[in-house]
Formats: sequence, C-alpha cells, structure tokens
Amino acid sequence: MSHKILGVVTLMYLFIFFLHVLYFAVNKQKIISVIWIFLYVTLGLHTAGLTVRWIESYNLGIGHVPLSNFYESLIFYSWCISFLLVVMKKRLSFPSITALASLIALAFMGYASISPSVEKTIQPLIPALQSNWLHIHVFTCFIAYAAFVISFISSLLYFFKWKGVLPPRETLEDINYRSVVVGFPMLSAGILTGAVWAHYAWGSYWSWDPKETWSLITWIVYALFLHARIAKGLKGKKMAFFSILGFLCVIFTYFGVNFILSGLHSYTT
Amino acid sequence: MGDNIYKLLASLKTAIFLLSFIAMTSISGTVIKQKAGIEEYLSAYSEGTYRVIHFFGLDDVYHSPWFLAAIVLFAINLTLCTFGRFKRFLKTRKGSLNLPDEHTLSAMPMHFFVETTSAGHVINLLKTGYKTVHEEESGVLLEKGAVARYGTYIIHVSILIILAGSLIGLVFGHKGFVVLNKGETKSAMTIRGRSNKEIPLGFALRCKDFKVSFYPGGQPKDYVSRIEVIEDNKVVKEKDIRVNDPLNHRGTYVYQASYGAAPSFIFNIDGDEVVLKERDTYEKDGLILMITRFENAIHDFGPGVQVAYLDREEPKTVWFLKNVERLKERNIRGINIRLEDIKEDLYTGLEVSRDPGVWIVWTGFASILFGLYINFFMYYRRIYIGKAPDGIIVAGHAFRNQDAFREEFEKMKGRVLSQ
Repeated sequence: MSHKILGVVTLMYLFIFFLHVLYFAVNKQKIISVIWIFLYVTLGLHTAGLTVRWIESYNLGIGHVPLSNFYESLIFYSWCISFLLVVMKKRLSFPSITALASLIALAFMGYASISPSVEKTIQPLIPALQSNWLHIHVFTCFIAYAAFVISFISSLLYFFKWKGVLPPRETLEDINYRSVVVGFPMLSAGILTGAVWAHYAWGSYWSWDPKETWSLITWIVYALFLHARIAKGLKGKKMAFFSILGFLCVIFTYFGVNFILSGLHSYTT
Repeated sequence: MGDNIYKLLASLKTAIFLLSFIAMTSISGTVIKQKAGIEEYLSAYSEGTYRVIHFFGLDDVYHSPWFLAAIVLFAINLTLCTFGRFKRFLKTRKGSLNLPDEHTLSAMPMHFFVETTSAGHVINLLKTGYKTVHEEESGVLLEKGAVARYGTYIIHVSILIILAGSLIGLVFGHKGFVVLNKGETKSAMTIRGRSNKEIPLGFALRCKDFKVSFYPGGQPKDYVSRIEVIEDNKVVKEKDIRVNDPLNHRGTYVYQASYGAAPSFIFNIDGDEVVLKERDTYEKDGLILMITRFENAIHDFGPGVQVAYLDREEPKTVWFLKNVERLKERNIRGINIRLEDIKEDLYTGLEVSRDPGVWIVWTGFASILFGLYINFFMYYRRIYIGKAPDGIIVAGHAFRNQDAFREEFEKMKGRVLSQ
C-alpha cells in the first residue's frame, strides 16, 4: 500500500516539474498557483505514504519509524525538501526555485524506487538502531540536508542570467544565506544528538567514524561560510561557490560515505 | 614581537586557516584505514608509502601530535577572539545606550511623528515585550531581544567547553573491553592496542546469563547480558545490558558490544569426565593432552577437534570427530579417550568506558544549541521615543532581520496613530 502511495507521489513530483516547464513556455501566472496546489497535495500524500509505511511496520510486528534504512532515508530526504518549500513559501515562491527543488525531490524518489541496489522492504530494526535518539537524530539531519538543497539551488541559479525568469540576485543571496541559517543549527543539532546516541549505543560520543568526520567537515565549511558572510561581508559569486562547496560535502556525507568508505553508519552491511 | 604573535593568534584569519586545515586533514583519516595492523597497511600500500603514512601519523590522524596541536591552537585562537570581541562589545554597549537627538531620529529609515504632549501614553502603548534601558528628560530607549547579541559568545564558549570536556576524557578516561563467558567473573578490562594491557576496574563484573534473539528473517533482534557488579564479594548491582542500554556504575559505563560462541569439548578420559576448551591442556599421570584446533566441518564429517600429545617425547596430533563413531574414541598410550560431546557456549563482549569529561561535553552541547537558537532565531531591536517641538518622534532600528522588524514597526505605528 505505502509503495503505491509513494509511487503516485513520485509521479506527482514529475508532474509538478512538467508544470514548471509549461510555465516557462507559456508564462501564465495562473500555472504558479496550480503548482502550489499540487505541491501541497503532494506533501500531504507523501506524509500519508510515510505514515502508512509506519503503520505497516507495526502490522508486521516490527513496528518502527520509517527512518531506518537507505530507502526510507531517501524518501524522507525528499519529504523534507517539499516540507521546507511549503514552510518557507513566502520566501521561496519563485518558479525557478520550486522547479529545481521538485526535480531534486523527484530524483531522490526515483532513485529510491528504481535502483535495484536499494532494499525497499520494511526490515526489522537491528539492536543498534533501537533507540529514541533515532527519531530526533535523523529528523534534524535531514531537515538540515534539505535546507542545504535550497541554498545549493539559489547558489546555482546565481550563475545564470534570465531576466524575468530568475529571482533578483539579492533575493538569491538572501535565500542562500537564510537557508544556511536554518540548516546550520539543524546540522549542529543532528551531530550533537548523534553524539549523545553514540555515547549510549557504542560507548563513545565521538569515534571519528567516516560519517562523523564528514559531518564535522560539512559543519566546518558552513561555519566558515557564515563567518565569511557576517564578519567579512562575503557576497556574490564567491558566496555562491562557497555554498556549493558546502553542498558537495553534504552529498558526500550522505552518499559518499556509504558507498565509497565503510564505517558504523553504512546502510549496507 | 609578542604583540604581533598575539595579533596573529587572535585574528579571524587564523581561525579560518586553522579550521580549514583541520577539515582538510580530517579527510585523510576517512580514506586511509585508522589504527590497523602493519600487515594490513603493507597489503594495501608499498613499503615506502607505508613509511610515509606512519611518519606523518596518518595511520592515526586524529591522535597525531600535529592534529592535536592544530586543535589546541584553534582553542587558543577561539579564546582570544571571543574574549577580545566580548570586551569590545561591553565597551561599545555602555556608550551606545543613549538617546540620539531629534534630528538623528528623524533621519532614521523607520520613524513617525505623533502629535501629542503625553509621552508616557505613547511609551505605555509601545512597551509590550520591550524593556526600558535608558531614560532621560527628552525621552526613552526601549529594547527587545537583547539576549540575541550574546549568541555568538555563548556558541564560541560552548565550543571551548566541549573541547575542554573531550580533553579531560582523553587524559583521565579509559576505554577497553571485557569478554565474559556465562558465569565468569572479571575485575579488569583490556585496553585495545599492540600490547593489550589490562587495567583494574575497581569492581568485578559477573555474567549471570546471556541471550540472543533473532527476528523470523534471521536478523539479530536483541542481545542481553545479565550482569552483576560485585564489590567486596557482595553483589551491589544487577542489570540487563543491551545495545543502547548500558550499565552505569560510579561513572564507568558497560555496554553490550558483541557476542560470540566458544566451543567446549567434553571428553571421557579413562572413565572421568573432563571439559576442555580451545588451547586448554590436560595432564594426569604423565599423559599430556592439548586442544590445538577446532573445525566446525571436516569435509562432510561434521565438527572435529584436534588434540596434541607427546609420544616418547615426540609431539603428535590426532583428530576426534563428533559424528563418526569409529573416530570418536582413541587409545593414547594405553588410555582410552572418548569425545562425548562438543558444546557451543555463548560469550558476551562488553565495551567499558570511563569518561569523567562527558558531563562537561553534554553541558557544552546544551549551551551551544541554546546559543545557536538565540543567535539565529532571535534578533535585537530598539525603539527610540524622543521629544520633538510639536509632539513626539518614534524611531526604530533592528540590527538584523530588517524585514520582520519593518512589519512589527508598521503595526506599532498603526497602534499609536489610531489612538
């Protein structure tokens, strides 16, 4: 059941992306309000899909929050992106931004459902994951990751010049900075809740596991970004480059560590 | 000279350099395997490469002298930066708490006039949520969210607290492991490393029971060790330890880390029942036996155990196979030896850590989250209320988040002017 709902959600992200293409082709303002209606509905369905998967796990007798393997994390990452879009609608209501955000959400959903290497069935929780820290740790980390997606999008758009299509450059700069302001405290909370959890699960709050190290590297990059912005007045293309560098670290922390390096956080065993 | 070194150590540029250095060198530790044995490195790298890796401490980057030195330098830099800035902040704050004159106020981007003679009335209308910080003949200065200005200091001091806590853990803490069979008692933990040093726990741990359970699909579900803490031959504590639920005894944490199975062999030697484990020796009346090897499957014959003995000063070995009647019983030097059974005993692997700095680290965690919250989600703003020739002038200024403040200020304006 949850697979079907999430399959529909994936198609809806694709449809939302096509709506954007249509908007850029015919430039009718009405399409934008349709896009937003679809974004709300999709977020609602996406939430329903996760909730049904949660209920299904209880029906299997192995009930746990659907945040426990790579498949579920991809679905949740995608959910966080559309959640942030809706929560920050006032600031992010630009078709170029929602277009790229829904494209990235689509990419995660598509990868989760199509790739044969991603295990899709509901699996029981191994002992290391049986902890209440799982919820808050995963939630804070992925909200941060999603905020960094938004800052990445605004940085990327900064390098293009399409008058009337893209938001003004000052607005892009502002969105870039503000999403890091959301992402950075969330990433900090994610790292710290992870550390407390690690203390209770493995006996050490910091063990320089590759995932931990890469999250620290990401944290340092965004800390430097904020200092350069606030104290040194970082602006323009340099600021956009810096933000993209931060996002590359996020991507490496999320994907690279699992596929290239091994460690305690590997989704695959 | 000393002045220059101080300036260098206290500068933001140095902080940026040190943080970048720490971030970039950290990468090496995620690429090169850490704290592995020499053989493992030699199988992955050439001897020359290994020598370079070992020389720079890249086989244990995060504890190498130069990495720790960078962190210590960063801590010094952060201390100097933070306290220097805080001193300047306190100085300018005192001087900035005054009321600008009428002309300055009317030049501010956000301001409005009220035609009234009662300043007190206007002040009361605007005071909700604001605090009066300065009062004089010609007006008042109100502020809100003043705590937001301490955010950066709280964040930076928290980082120092976390670093101090982890240093205390590094110097005074211990980390090791204890392996216990069911029923076994141990009072020392083994420290991982080349020499496997043992240090006393200060109490004894006894494994009363150990259980593993699996999900129907075969994945591990739960492992539980029932552990007793023994002090002066008395059981002072008893707890089921599972993953994510350690035992804490006077600051020493005992964690469920792993488990395994060790076989034990039940022999009948000349009518006596003898239980032996791997590497155990048996000696009686000049007969010396030693268990040298255990195999779960020898070809298709099932489990077997290899026993060594001395035959006229010459070592010889013989296999006992559990499932093959003909090979279950042997005669060594005229003594009948029969393998009765092979049992798999579960043992539990416990991780032990003692870290007196952990509460300091937790304090740092809590205060850094508080600091991040007030720094990024609260902001400092001021309202000036001053006398003008034919009324009162109200001006506002936010030090961040101008958009949100402009909205708030417009609402205030509406509230005052509608009265």
